Amino acid sequence: MQCANMLLRKILRSSVLPFAAQHGMKKDLFPLSRTLSLSLCLKQDKSEPSEKLDLDEWKKVMKSGLQEEVSETVSEPKELSSLAAARETLEMWRLAGRAVPENISEVQLKTFMECPSKSAKKKYLKYLHLKELHKKNDKRKMDEKRERRLEAKDQASNTDETKKSSFLCLWSSTMDRAYNWRAAQSMIFGQPLVFDMSYEKEMSVREVTNTVRQIVLSESCNRKSVDPFHIHFCNFKDDSLYHREFINQYREAWGKLLITVTEQCYTEIFPKDKLIYLTADSPKVMKTFDHNKIYIVGSMVDKTIKTGVSLARAKRLGLETAALPLEKYLLWSTGAKNLTLDQMMRILLTLKDTADWKKALEFVPKRKYCGFVNRPVKELKKTLDLINTLKLGKGWEEVETRFAKNHPKK
Amino acid sequence: VQPPEKPLQAEEWNKLREDFQFPEIFEEVMLNSMIRCNSPIDVAKSLLTHLARRNGDIAYNVLVKYLTLCVQQGRVSEVCDVYDIMKGRFKILESGAYNLLIRGLSNSDQWRMALTLLEEVNKIMIPSRTSYECCIKAASRHQEMKLAFELYNEMLAKNVVPTLDVLESFFNFSRGMKDAELQKDLFGILFYLRENQIYPHKRFMRSIKLWFESIPGGNWKGRLTNIKDSGQCPVCKHQLEDSNLTEEEYSNLSERIIKDVIHGTDTFRKTSPKEFEAFQTFVENRLPFDIVIDGLNVSHIKSRKMQCENLFDAVNCLAKENARLLVLGRKHMLMNTSNWKREIMKEMQNKADFFFAENISEDDAFLLYATLRSGKHCRFVTRDFLRDHKACLPDSLTRHLFRKWQRGHQMVFFPSAEGRGFSSVFSQQPAFRYDCVVQTTGDTWHIPYKDVFEEKYSYQVPRKWLCIQQK
Repeated sequence: MQCANMLLRKILRSSVLPFAAQHGMKKDLFPLSRTLSLSLCLKQDKSEPSEKLDLDEWKKVMKSGLQEEVSETVSEPKELSSLAAARETLEMWRLAGRAVPENISEVQLKTFMECPSKSAKKKYLKYLHLKELHKKNDKRKMDEKRERRLEAKDQASNTDETKKSSFLCLWSSTMDRAYNWRAAQSMIFGQPLVFDMSYEKEMSVREVTNTVRQIVLSESCNRKSVDPFHIHFCNFKDDSLYHREFINQYREAWGKLLITVTEQCYTEIFPKDKLIYLTADSPKVMKTFDHNKIYIVGSMVDKTIKTGVSLARAKRLGLETAALPLEKYLLWSTGAKNLTLDQMMRILLTLKDTADWKKALEFVPKRKYCGFVNRPVKELKKTLDLINTLKLGKGWEEVETRFAKNHPKK
Repeated sequence: VQPPEKPLQAEEWNKLREDFQFPEIFEEVMLNSMIRCNSPIDVAKSLLTHLARRNGDIAYNVLVKYLTLCVQQGRVSEVCDVYDIMKGRFKILESGAYNLLIRGLSNSDQWRMALTLLEEVNKIMIPSRTSYECCIKAASRHQEMKLAFELYNEMLAKNVVPTLDVLESFFNFSRGMKDAELQKDLFGILFYLRENQIYPHKRFMRSIKLWFESIPGGNWKGRLTNIKDSGQCPVCKHQLEDSNLTEEEYSNLSERIIKDVIHGTDTFRKTSPKEFEAFQTFVENRLPFDIVIDGLNVSHIKSRKMQCENLFDAVNCLAKENARLLVLGRKHMLMNTSNWKREIMKEMQNKADFFFAENISEDDAFLLYATLRSGKHCRFVTRDFLRDHKACLPDSLTRHLFRKWQRGHQMVFFPSAEGRGFSSVFSQQPAFRYDCVVQTTGDTWHIPYKDVFEEKYSYQVPRKWLCIQQK
């Protein structure tokens, strides 16, 4: 039997395969010959491990599959539309192991093609890829959760235990009603807080989306607070990018929000001397939260930090400005001093309720600062230096330069 | 993982794979380390064979990795084989594979195939600059200078920036050719260097020199030299181009500075319209100044001294030369604080004109405006490199103009123990009088070059020159 095998193998190896590769065998014969030769090879490997390897065998395998495909594709029309070509390129990138989404819609593909540079394209694809991954993960988690819930239900029905309680289980809707009641109250008696919606030109589409997302978050935590602000969206244009994004986020709830949306500027609604524009670029530092003032927050996300844009707004209108006393209370380490809108909202709400800076500034991301300061930084600097020199035996210069880095002189 | 030294049998591969932590990515990791260690190609082949036997197929990314290894070792026939396989398997390839193929083929006799590949890439995307580089080098290596220049122009038209290497290869391979057309094209490259203010490095400079000297009947002679402060070339006694901008350039630059640096998207970001107007009338009434000083910048030069004393030193030093001075500052300087003594400020105001901007305004923008308005002779004093203002300018041409103007007009105050002096930021001499750029007069060429391969700071200009003269 082995002899016969050897013979067969030799015939296949020496004549059939090259012959087939050269002339292109008929489809139906080829796969057969391949499996035959492969199974033979495998067998032979076991019996004679010392036999010399055919290093180019993979080529034959690859080309053999190829001939079938070629004969199929030849008949297809070869010209590709630019969209299809882009899709094709994406597919190849995915095969090459780059960060590319598996599925891409027509709109996304068009956005991809409109990207001005190679790096912009890469970034956009990576963004889509990550988004897809997140979505998949979320879906998986949801499914797992559902399964677990079903299991729990089964167990519960088995034990058949009924709980007795004097309250109906209507948590979320009752809570919503209570929150809305408070928000409605704030619309009449609450302290106004203005979101300045005039930065659309300064932002890219992605930045506007992020801004709206942040505002939605701030609105929800305002609604859930004990004493909400009366939120005003000023300089709000219908059919603007902001508007479209808000509808995307809120859907039908957009019309029912308990906030004031107006095309007017805040200077037209409120007396000028009561307005304070909050901006990180302001030379003035906020000392206390004033319950009689109206604070304005610029609805802007600037990923490429644009200094002085909101300060310019305030300057033009002749408004008072203020910045949060971050330097005074926190040992700042890294990151820009501009905070997200929802962080601002939480800080303002806490200040309003408690007037406690330490509590309020808890909402500054932890990565941005090393710790709280309860005495002026200058005094603290001396003690810090002293501790460092005593404890670590570090030279003064080193400590000084490190400190200077964190606290640049004005 | 350490790649094996000899081709392995299927079982041995299987065993290695099972021992590996993540069997799914075993092939990728293995091939990566083969590329890193430059393993023999047979080892990779045996892995591929093993893969093909197991799966009946080889994934695209594995093929690309194998291709990388082949290109790395210059196995041209193998590259061709892989290309055949890929072409059959996939309708189009992606940029990584194309780059590799072009790189692999351009170094062989099959280099024309690289050109067809480049055309293929062109249909779906902009080829990378290395692809162009390889093709251009291949073409010029085979003395097809015309073709090389066609590719070069195509590259420029697509805004792909050529490397100095490519430019150098043009000069290297054109040596000794007598061809008027070619000569014009090479001069074109030198003008490209001039327009983009690129300085060749030493090796590149040498190949330019050799090319010039090799032109049959050209009688060119190149010599290395240093240019004097006066701007005269010691070899050919030629006066280099003036560092002053032309009238048109000058007015163009002033216009752009007002429009893009001072006003920008919103005048309120750096100043306010009212303040700027006040400043404009202030300047117009007192024109022209000889030196404009950034008061706050100068006042920080010596940290041990009081800030107003530093400024006082600078003003005194400059006032001696009977120059009309303008000092720009901010209003807080008038507030009689420990750093800003009122008496000293008063005394200074007798010697120079002062303008105090709002505390939140940017005084640099005013500095640029006042200097430009005063005319070409006016200089300004600051340690600031003004990079942020340069970045506000819209296009590279204007940015180059700005740099050139800055080189000729900016001074820095260095108070030292022996005495106080002024010098240009860019070199140890008062602002440059000549323009540091590739230049020609027809029968001479002057080419500044870098001694080192990488120039560290963009504001520095080279001090060494190649002087080429036709006899």
